[in-house]
Amino acid sequence: MKIMKRKKFIRKATPYFFISPWIIGFLVFTIGPLILSLIMSFFDWPLTTEPVFRGFGNYIEMFTKDAQFWKSLRISLKYAAIFVPLNMGIALFLAMLITQPVRGVKVFRTIFYIPAVISGVAVSIIWGWILNGDYGALNYLLSLIGIEGPRWLVDPAWALFAVILASAFGVGTMMLIFYTNIKSIPITVYEAASLDGASPARQFFSITLPIITPTILFNLITSIIGSFQQVTLVMLLTGGGPLKSTYFYGLYTYNNAFKHHKLGYASANAWVMFIIILILTALVFKSSSTWVFYEAEAKKENKKRRGGKK
Amino acid sequence: MKMSRKTKAIIYILLTVIAVYFLAPFVYMFFTTFKTEAEAIAYPPKLLPSKWLFENFVNAWKSQPFGTYLKNSILVTVLTTTGQILSCSLVAYGFAKFEFKGKNILFMILLSTMMIPWDVTMIPQYMEFNMFGWINTLKPLIIPAWFGSAYYIFLMRQFLMGVPKDFEEAARIDGANSFQIYWKIYMPILKPSLILVGVLNMISVWNDYLGPLIFLQERSKYTLALGLAAFKGVHSTRIIPMLCITVIMIIPPIIAFIVAQKYIVEGTSGSIK
Amino acid sequence: MKKRLAALCVLSLAVVTIFTGCSKNNNKDNTDNSKGGKTKIRFASWDVAEDVDRQQALVDKFNAAHDDIVVTLEAYGSDFDTKISAGMGSGDAPDVMYMWNYPAYSGGLEPLDGYIEKEGENYKSNFYETLWNYNSINDQVYGIPIGFTTHALFYNKDIFAEAGVAEPTADWTWEDLKAAAKTITEKTSALGFSFQMKPDPYDFEMYLWSNGSAYCDQDGKLEGNLNSEKSQEVFQMFQDMEKEGYAIASEKSGTDEFRSGAVAMYVYGSWAISSLKEDQLNYGVTTIPAFANAGQDSVSILSSSGISMSKDSKNKDAAWEFIKFWTNEEANKERIGLELPVLNSVVESEKIMEQPEYAPFYVMLEQSKGYTPASFIIKDWSEKSENLSLSFEEIFNPSVLQSVPDVLNNAVQQ
Repeated sequence: MKIMKRKKFIRKATPYFFISPWIIGFLVFTIGPLILSLIMSFFDWPLTTEPVFRGFGNYIEMFTKDAQFWKSLRISLKYAAIFVPLNMGIALFLAMLITQPVRGVKVFRTIFYIPAVISGVAVSIIWGWILNGDYGALNYLLSLIGIEGPRWLVDPAWALFAVILASAFGVGTMMLIFYTNIKSIPITVYEAASLDGASPARQFFSITLPIITPTILFNLITSIIGSFQQVTLVMLLTGGGPLKSTYFYGLYTYNNAFKHHKLGYASANAWVMFIIILILTALVFKSSSTWVFYEAEAKKENKKRRGGKK
Repeated sequence: MKMSRKTKAIIYILLTVIAVYFLAPFVYMFFTTFKTEAEAIAYPPKLLPSKWLFENFVNAWKSQPFGTYLKNSILVTVLTTTGQILSCSLVAYGFAKFEFKGKNILFMILLSTMMIPWDVTMIPQYMEFNMFGWINTLKPLIIPAWFGSAYYIFLMRQFLMGVPKDFEEAARIDGANSFQIYWKIYMPILKPSLILVGVLNMISVWNDYLGPLIFLQERSKYTLALGLAAFKGVHSTRIIPMLCITVIMIIPPIIAFIVAQKYIVEGTSGSIK
Repeated sequence: MKKRLAALCVLSLAVVTIFTGCSKNNNKDNTDNSKGGKTKIRFASWDVAEDVDRQQALVDKFNAAHDDIVVTLEAYGSDFDTKISAGMGSGDAPDVMYMWNYPAYSGGLEPLDGYIEKEGENYKSNFYETLWNYNSINDQVYGIPIGFTTHALFYNKDIFAEAGVAEPTADWTWEDLKAAAKTITEKTSALGFSFQMKPDPYDFEMYLWSNGSAYCDQDGKLEGNLNSEKSQEVFQMFQDMEKEGYAIASEKSGTDEFRSGAVAMYVYGSWAISSLKEDQLNYGVTTIPAFANAGQDSVSILSSSGISMSKDSKNKDAAWEFIKFWTNEEANKERIGLELPVLNSVVESEKIMEQPEYAPFYVMLEQSKGYTPASFIIKDWSEKSENLSLSFEEIFNPSVLQSVPDVLNNAVQQ
């Protein structure tokens, strides 16, 4: 009896044992700062002096008085709407390209990954040079072939595009994730399909794509989060300009905290962003049951049935 | 798989065009490191330096105690990467292969921790580390990594979810316990994604400068990325040394990547070559 | 099973060590200010790369001369503000730090008047008087001046020679500058003049002062000041220069364009000098042109840096000891090249006024007495400044070039 109980306990405790590192880390390092930042969002905290409680004041101010809040939110949504699918499409395309069995593909693989390795500070300086409207390398090259390039970082109509151009440069990370996943597909799966006479396009859509849906989900969610939190690049490349056309929500939050020293307000900004991302993520997850296929899931059913018999 | 000549040609053209897009800024940067600052900003821009100033690299390296920074960077990178791989694979395994009470909520919380920007949790975190006495040490940069990070846990979980359970059934029948299954069955299968997590973590830690900026104080504790950022002043930036260090800093991750690439390919036997 | 237990043990051991590690360190932290019986002072600067080595040498000198104090230098470059904000927010700011943005940080700084008084009258009067205004809030001194720059007109001698135009002099007006810029643009491949497309509103106010106006009155009211006729004249002049094609609104500070010889003149602080010297550019510096109808000399904004003490410092006397050292004559001399000296005696003994690239900045300093920047008057300047900056960009951004009266009248409403 005792042994049975112990066994049962162990079986029940096992999963918690595996996730315990994260739980401990969460309790020790994460939850405190998270809660404190939530509390702070109800305070007026000018950093250099003591915080003062102001109830929902920060939130009310944000929604009713601060025009920049809505503008920045719109800019970030627009950026996410363009950047997320674009970046994922490019990453997947590149990942397919570098899995092709051609000679020298290794070298290209490394080349595609180099940009993702370069530190953000240097990347933004280089792009600043390249994209400078009057004295930049890109417009100089364009002028050689008779095109007058736009003022990338000065014309509000082009600036967001310029930021997307520069951030697509870091696509290597996502490419590598897709690549690893594609590489893990057993060749037998393809061989079977080849015998059936499936074309490469067909193979891609009916074999590769379904198998990598778990990583597509991963990349989708993390890049939604990433595009809302985009700060470094815009801060260094455009500073939010021209005419605040790239004043991303992440930059808005950062500036409220560290430029205007309104840490309470910035916390409120961050928590509103949190809610928005959370809703988006929940929607994606909800929908994922229809388009993400986990290899393991079919088997799970079996196990459940077996477990029931015991 | 066999390929027609035409397909091959198309692939090569695509590869080349994209490579040019990715390499152009880097090449531009690389040649700039040998120029004088005046030449670097000259208009019209020239690709090659008129005189190759190899000493730029030496001067850049000497301008700050980069030897010390390198040591710190390696320490932080190696220790966090080891920690992340171990902890994230454990946690991901827990989330992917078990059913337990509160799993969905815990997983949602895990994801949520990625959604709050660091700007607003940084100061509370600083207070906490200060309480621990960790400020101005490398501990705040290393120790949390041993408890996993949501990003990599999520990534590993996705990979694990894709692995059929057939693999473990046999072992279960042989009486192996969960830890043995994790260690002996899933780790080998997951080698490519473990390597992937290692590479991704290595690069983000290697280049991270906000963490070191906030938690470190003395130059003897600085990392390379922080030293790199220190070339950027309030009114002027030392562009040439900054680019030199950037180029030097790219080398270790690239080597790691080339090595890792091999393992990602070899990891699963029978995958397409 | 055994393995799992072992792993559990290792894990819990790790947790325990961490927690005990914390508490141990915690104890150490409580007495953290002494290092081998010495008082430890943290000193944060914003200097970069090799400049930090020069500072370190000075700090070492101080440490060698003091048995009871150890100063550690921390250098943060352009991230200085983030670091100091984080430090102040978490109650762990450096004891001593460089400072320029007093309106934003004065709440976390120690007033220094008491310390200064103890040093006697001569201590204070050796500094250039105007600098004290910039290091004070509400008549309380929060920082001791360590450096400053005014703005001045930089010009490229080679381009002037090529165009056959006489070089700028101290009695130039903007009309002279415009005429020269026009000729240069016509006769050479360079443009005559550049100014910033997104000027920091703090800096730009100097042009309004020079034309007898300002952003606001003493109570911080913008209406009737920022949009006054005289203010509009200033903005209109710059916009017209851009429209007429002999001036360019630079995306950055304008230094790059000037260094590469793409532009013949620009107005900037002394920060540019070291790069220009390094480039061996044939350049000159003179005072900023005056407005022809203003009936006064041109005025410059002061970008002043001081050294301040955290109000939370636990070792204020030692911190003051170090501040005194950092602001004395010897240290001023050592830092020439990093900063323009702020002590009358040093400027005299080092014959700074005889150096043509430095002298104009001191002339501008003399001409700029008695002005108070709007950042010291307007509450929440940092946000106001962001709005103003957007308005100015609307006027100068070549993609929009909006009407000056419209933008300014709109800006005072905000």
